[in-house]
Amino acid sequence: MSVFYERFERHAHGEGLKGHATHYCPGCGHGLIHKYVAEAIDELDIQNRTIAVSPVGCAVFMYYYLDVGNTQAAHGRAPAVAVGHKVANPDAILLAYQGDGDLASIGLGEIMQACQLGLPMTFVFVNNAIYGMTGGQMAPTTLPGQVTTTTPTGRTRFTGQPLRMAEIVSQIDGPIYVERCALFDAKQRTRTKKAIAKALRLQVEGKGLSFVEILAECPTHLKLTPSEAEQWVKEKMVPYFPLGVKKDEEGERWFEPGPPSFDPGDVVRVISGTDQPPERFGDGFPSHIDEKDISLKFAGAGGDGAQTIAMLTTKAALNEGWDSTHIPSYGPESRGGTSYADVRIAVDEVLSPSSPHPQILVAFNPPSLEKFGPTVSPGGIVIYDRSVIPEPPTLDPSITMAGIPCTEIARGLGKRMVKNVVALGALAEAAHLFPRDSFLLTLRQALKQNCALLDLNEQAFDAGAQAFDDVMSAV
Amino acid sequence: MVSTNKKKVKPRPLLFPHFCKACGRCITACPKDCIEMGTEIDPVTGCTPVVIDRSLCNDCGLCLTACPEPYGLVPAPQDTEDFELQDPEDLFGARRTTAPEPISIPDERLPLPPLESMILKGNHATAIGAVLAGCRHFFGYPITPSTEGAELIAKLLPELDGMFVQAVSEVAAVNMMYGCGGAGLRCMTLTSSPGFSLMLEGISYMIGAELPGVFFNVMRGGPGLGNIGPEQADIKLVCRGLGHGNTHAIVLAPATPQEMLDLTIVAFDLAFEYRNPVILASDGYLGQMTGRVRLPEFIVKPGLPDWGVYGDEMHRRNLNTSIILIEPDLEKHNLHLNRKYQQMSDAEQRSDSFRCENAEWIVIACNTPARMAKGAVQELRGRGINAGLFRPITLWPFPIDAARSVLRGVKGVLVVEAGPGQLEDELRLALSHAGVHDLPRIERLRHHGGVLPQQQEIVEAVSELAASVPTGGAA
Repeated sequence: MSVFYERFERHAHGEGLKGHATHYCPGCGHGLIHKYVAEAIDELDIQNRTIAVSPVGCAVFMYYYLDVGNTQAAHGRAPAVAVGHKVANPDAILLAYQGDGDLASIGLGEIMQACQLGLPMTFVFVNNAIYGMTGGQMAPTTLPGQVTTTTPTGRTRFTGQPLRMAEIVSQIDGPIYVERCALFDAKQRTRTKKAIAKALRLQVEGKGLSFVEILAECPTHLKLTPSEAEQWVKEKMVPYFPLGVKKDEEGERWFEPGPPSFDPGDVVRVISGTDQPPERFGDGFPSHIDEKDISLKFAGAGGDGAQTIAMLTTKAALNEGWDSTHIPSYGPESRGGTSYADVRIAVDEVLSPSSPHPQILVAFNPPSLEKFGPTVSPGGIVIYDRSVIPEPPTLDPSITMAGIPCTEIARGLGKRMVKNVVALGALAEAAHLFPRDSFLLTLRQALKQNCALLDLNEQAFDAGAQAFDDVMSAV
Repeated sequence: MVSTNKKKVKPRPLLFPHFCKACGRCITACPKDCIEMGTEIDPVTGCTPVVIDRSLCNDCGLCLTACPEPYGLVPAPQDTEDFELQDPEDLFGARRTTAPEPISIPDERLPLPPLESMILKGNHATAIGAVLAGCRHFFGYPITPSTEGAELIAKLLPELDGMFVQAVSEVAAVNMMYGCGGAGLRCMTLTSSPGFSLMLEGISYMIGAELPGVFFNVMRGGPGLGNIGPEQADIKLVCRGLGHGNTHAIVLAPATPQEMLDLTIVAFDLAFEYRNPVILASDGYLGQMTGRVRLPEFIVKPGLPDWGVYGDEMHRRNLNTSIILIEPDLEKHNLHLNRKYQQMSDAEQRSDSFRCENAEWIVIACNTPARMAKGAVQELRGRGINAGLFRPITLWPFPIDAARSVLRGVKGVLVVEAGPGQLEDELRLALSHAGVHDLPRIERLRHHGGVLPQQQEIVEAVSELAASVPTGGAA
C-alpha cells in the first residue's frame, strides 16, 4: 500500500508518463511537500481517515496523486470546505493544502475563521511569493521590489506589503501549533517533514489546529534554475519570512463530539412535540363578527407589546380549533420602530393572511390609530390606549371606539409592560372572540418559564375587560 | 512501499529516467557528489535526466527526500536485483488505488408517534422540517428575515448531537456545505436575498461536483441592500442564475408554514436523489407568518451514500471536484448534467390548482401572493366570475404540463407577483419551450419593494380583465 496512487489515473487518464509523473514544473516545491505529506500519513497510519482538500492554484490537482479521500475546493475556500468535512465526520483527518494566493488573498476570511474555530485540522500553506497557475502575478506574499507580471517594475508601497501569515495566524487563539519551514536544503527539508508530521499528529490526537507555512520554490515564474530558486528563497525570502516555530501550545484533546441522534423519542422531546390536544373553551366560531373569516390588526410602537398579544390571539384561535395566521410587520428594525401585526381567523382556511380592512383594531399610539383607524371595516371595533391617545380621530360612526387607559391601569398594577394584556382583556370583552379561559391558557403557555408573572397578567387581563365595560356603560 | 523510506532500512536510490524532470535538487542534496546532470536527452521526455554513480553512494537517502517526484528517485526494492529491467507498472502497480468499492447505506424512515399539530412561524417550521428530515448539520450567517430559523436550529441541533456552525460569511457557509454535503450528509442553510447572492459561487461548484444541499432563500426586497420586506425578485436568480456555468436546481416555493415544513423535508430527499442542491424560495412574509403545522408520521434517519468523501476506508477512493480539464470530458459531464436536469423536468414538476375546473380566468401566483390570490378567487366566484388559481410549487422546473391543461380554453390570465415579473418570464419561457404559441391574454399585477399585492387589487384586476375580453374570446 502506498499513500500515492499506484497510477495517476486522474492525470490525463493516466496515459503514458502522466500515470506516474506529476504536473509540476521541474524543481517546484509542491512535489516535495506532497511527498512529506504522504509519508506522514503513512507513518501515522491515517490513510483511510484522511481527506485532502485541494486548493485552486498549482496544487489544484493534488487529488491526482494522494490516495486518500479527496475534495477540490473553490478558490480560497478550502478552510470552509474542511470545516464542513470535519463536523460531518469528526473522526476524519483534514488536510487543507493552500497556496499564497488561495490562503492569503482571496481566502483570508475563510482561513481566519477556521483558525478562530480552532477545530483539529491541519493547514499546509505553501508560500512561493508568486501566483503560479495564472502565470506569475503578484501574490500577497510577493517581496518588496520583486518583479512579477502585475508589478512589472517591482512591488512598491502602492501594491501593499507582504503578509506574514504564520505570524498572523499565531496571534489567533485557535491554532495550537504554527511553524514556518523551507525546502532549500536538506536540513530545512527534514524540518518541514517533521513539522507536517507533527501537525497531522496533533490532529489525530484531537488537540487542535496546526498551521505549517512552507517557503517553496517556483523556478518557472522566478525565472531561475531550481538551484538558483533554492538560493533565492534562502537569501531573499527567509529574511522577510523568518523560519521557526511561532506557536506550540499542545494541550488536551478537546474535540470529541458524539454521533448525532436520530431517535424519534429524542426528536419529539427536542422539538417539544406533544400528543396532548389543547383544551378548548369556546362553543363555536365567533360568527357575530364575521361568518367565517375574521380580520384583526394590532399596532403600536416597538416594545408596546402589540406583536405579543397578536400572537396570543392567533394561538387562542388555533387552540380553539380554527385556522389562524399571524404576520408581524416591523419598521426598519425589529425594536424601536413602529410595529404592527395582522391576524386572520377562519373557520376552514385562512386564504389571504393580511388585514388591510380589519374588523378589530388595537392601537397603542397616535400614529397607529391615525394610520389604521380609517381602514377599519364599518361596524368594527377599535381598542386604543387612552392614556397615550387622549384625542382619537373621528372614524365611521358605526365603529365602536373603546378608549381604554391601558398604560394607567398597567402602571396601577405595578408593571407598565402589561398594558398590552390590559388591551387584550378589553378586546376579549369587546369582541367576545373566545372565552376568558382560552386567552388565559395561551398566556400560561407563553409564560411557562415565568409562573410568577401569571397572576399579574391575569389581573391585567381582567382589569382590561372591566375597563371596557366601564367605558361602554359611561357612553 | 514507494512513498516512504523507513529509517532502519537504508535503501539505495533508484531512478527511472522517464520520471526525472532534471530539476537537479538531488544534486545539491547529495553529500557524496555522486549525482550529476546528465548529458543525454531522454527521447521520451525531452529532458536530460540526472545520472547517479552508485559506486560512490553511501545510501544516506538525502537525494530521495530532495526529489519532488513521487516516482522519480525512489528507494530501490530490496528483494530483486534486476529491478532496472522491470516495467514501472509492475514495480509501482497499475491500479489507481487499493481502496474498496464503496456501497451505499440506505436512508431509513422511522415512525413518529401521532403528535398534535404545532403553532409555528414559517422560519421555525423550516427548522423543524430540517430536524425531522434528518439534517443534523447547519451552516449559516444571520440575515433578516431568515434569522429565526437559524436561531431555532442553533438551539435544537446540539440537543441531538448535531452541529450548528455560524460561518464568517455566506461565502464560507456555502463552502462548509460543499464539505459536509460532500461527505454525504444532509446539511442546510437559511438565508435571504443578499446572502443568497453571495452563495451563488459555491452553489455552482456544488452543482458541478454533484453535491446535495438544501438552501432556503427567504426572499426580501432588492436590489442591493433593499429592505427586509417580502419580495419575489430572486425568481430569475434561483431559476436561471445559480452561479456561473450550466446550472439548474429544483426550486420549491412554499405558500404556508405547513409547506415550509413539508417542502423542507421533500427538499432533502430530492437533493440526494439527484445529487444536486435544492433551493427553497419563500418570501419574507411567509418566513414571519405563524400558523398551524401538522407533523409527518415519520422522521428520516439518513444512511450514507457510496459517492461521499466521508473520511473512512469505504469512501477513500472518492473525489469531489468540479474541475474537468480535458474539453471532451467536460462536455461529457455537462451532457450528463443536462440529462439530470431533463429528469428533474420530467419527474419533479409540482403545482396546486384551486377552482381551476371550468375556469375562464386564471390567476397565477406563488408564495404569499398565492394566498391573497386564493382569497381573491373565492371572492370572484362569489361574484359570478369563473376564476381559478394556478400555483406553481416548483418554480424550476416550471409545472408546464399542469399549466398547459389548466390554461386550455381559458380567456385570460393574471400573473400576480411581489416582484418585477420574473414568474411571468418563467411562465412564458415554459410555454414557449413547450411549443404553446396560441396564448390566452396575459395580464399582470405587480408590486415591488416589499409591498404585497392585496386580495382586493387582484379581484379588481381580474374583473377588469373579464370586462375587457369580449365574450367568446377564448384563445
